[in-house]
Amino acid sequence: MVPYALGAGQVAAGIKSREFSGEEYVCQLLERIEKVEPKINAFVTVSKEAIERARTIDKKIRDGEQAGPLAGVAVSIKDNICTKGIKTTCASRMLESYVPPYDATVVRRLLDAGAILIGKTNLDEFAMGSTTEFSRHGTTRNPWDISRVPGGSSGGSAASVAALECAASLGSDTGGSVRCPASFCSVVGMKPTYGLISRYGLVSYANSLEQVGPVGRTVSDVVSMLNVIAGADENDHTTADGRPAYSLQEGNGPRVGLVREFIEGADSAVAKIIHKAVDTLAGQGCKCEEVSLASVQYALASYYTIATAEASSNLARYDNVRYGFDMSPEGYEWNSYFAKARSNFGDEAKRRIIVGSYVLSSGYYGKYYLKAQQARSLLKRELKTLFKKYDVLIGPTMPILPFKIGEKIDDPLKMYLVDIDTVVANLAGMPAISVPAGFADGLPVGLQVMADEFREQTMLDAAYLFEQAAQVQRIPEL
Amino acid sequence: MMVTKEEVKHLGWLARIELSDAELDRYTSQVEEIIKYLNKLDTMPLEQIKPIIAKKKFADLRPDKSSDFEGDALGTKYRKDGFVKGPRMT
Repeated sequence: MVPYALGAGQVAAGIKSREFSGEEYVCQLLERIEKVEPKINAFVTVSKEAIERARTIDKKIRDGEQAGPLAGVAVSIKDNICTKGIKTTCASRMLESYVPPYDATVVRRLLDAGAILIGKTNLDEFAMGSTTEFSRHGTTRNPWDISRVPGGSSGGSAASVAALECAASLGSDTGGSVRCPASFCSVVGMKPTYGLISRYGLVSYANSLEQVGPVGRTVSDVVSMLNVIAGADENDHTTADGRPAYSLQEGNGPRVGLVREFIEGADSAVAKIIHKAVDTLAGQGCKCEEVSLASVQYALASYYTIATAEASSNLARYDNVRYGFDMSPEGYEWNSYFAKARSNFGDEAKRRIIVGSYVLSSGYYGKYYLKAQQARSLLKRELKTLFKKYDVLIGPTMPILPFKIGEKIDDPLKMYLVDIDTVVANLAGMPAISVPAGFADGLPVGLQVMADEFREQTMLDAAYLFEQAAQVQRIPEL
Repeated sequence: MMVTKEEVKHLGWLARIELSDAELDRYTSQVEEIIKYLNKLDTMPLEQIKPIIAKKKFADLRPDKSSDFEGDALGTKYRKDGFVKGPRMT
């Protein structure tokens, strides 16, 4: 296999044993990016420093120095995660010139582990969307069918991994933004427990829901990334204590609950593959039962109330006096300048700011926001009860197959409804992972595996067990 | 009609976002549809359920200290006498 198609662990081993150099590997990747980007559009920025960085890693290895567990591994980073000296635009005009003066903790940890930052990836503006169509940099296309969406909002991250433009990537997941594109692009994407990974340097959208999450072609690659980035950070006090280390093991036949509401709401082609996945797990000695998660019917209303409320607050900081595009303040009065400048937010961001302002309006707080938090509490309670009986809960990551670009763009509610299976983990603060489960009509379907808070090892065991038994990984033809 | 054009215009003003007539027309019907969906929360008997609240106490937060970054952290060319220039207040 050519080096650019290798997983994170294989690349690090290959460079360390000097089977190939970091420079050769990165040059191959850059050629690959040049070849497939006109079709995929996964990247916002391709790093010019990647070759130089690879040479530094090669020299360290030649000199017998420690180069780190991810030495030479090329990773892409979603363009809402701060990278020192490299533009971080959030796919928005409001940050089109923003060059962060610091690295996010997750980026710093990857670099310290020897990783090479190959580029910044496309997303829906400020991570608001499920298709990567709401980007100032144009739509990212699905490597399995370029007329279809790659999912979102971390569509560039998942597409770049699927299209062999990097070994792994970092996305962010507020309501499924890592798992949705992972499912649509047939790669592995994980959202950790709230507090497992630092959010320092992640541009805020909905703080109580979002987490940075790794994307890779295999569970093994996701574990390699997770072990480097997870753990306490003094710059993010919502992180839990300690630096956990996860291993790759198949576990002993976990008790599996198939969430009835998830499967009932899925398209028949998706449901068929998920039922086959249940058979695969049962064949591996897992005890699988159907379970009900009744309060899931309120999950989307709760999620979109909380997410838009937090978004309207977070996006209030963009005044264009700092970071923004070139618009002189001369001749403007304070309010009219801001209103004019902020009209440059894209459609979906504006819509969410308005909905968020509505639900937080005087007299509506108790009707929407408070009830949404109560629904969140109820959902978490119900999940906790289920996790006393089951190690993991499973279902489809997305209820539908990847759809055509533009198909849902004029109907925001229809677009929101596809998030039904993923928002649950964010509301409950619990970990969830999407693993490729199969293909229907040539389009990918992902299996979502969810576990209780800080039970990542249990979740990864089940995901790895399924991955090894199902063997559905393929490479798209581009 | 549950959400009016005037309300959306007012919300746009509160959020300091200038909205064109075409946007007002589009957003009014879309926001109404979204709010109707959020009203689902009304159908749930939630009185006995405590909402989720943050576990971290304000006093536990890290000290609010300024960090010195090299170079230009503000990304603006509109400056005067070492200050960033904004629009006039009145």
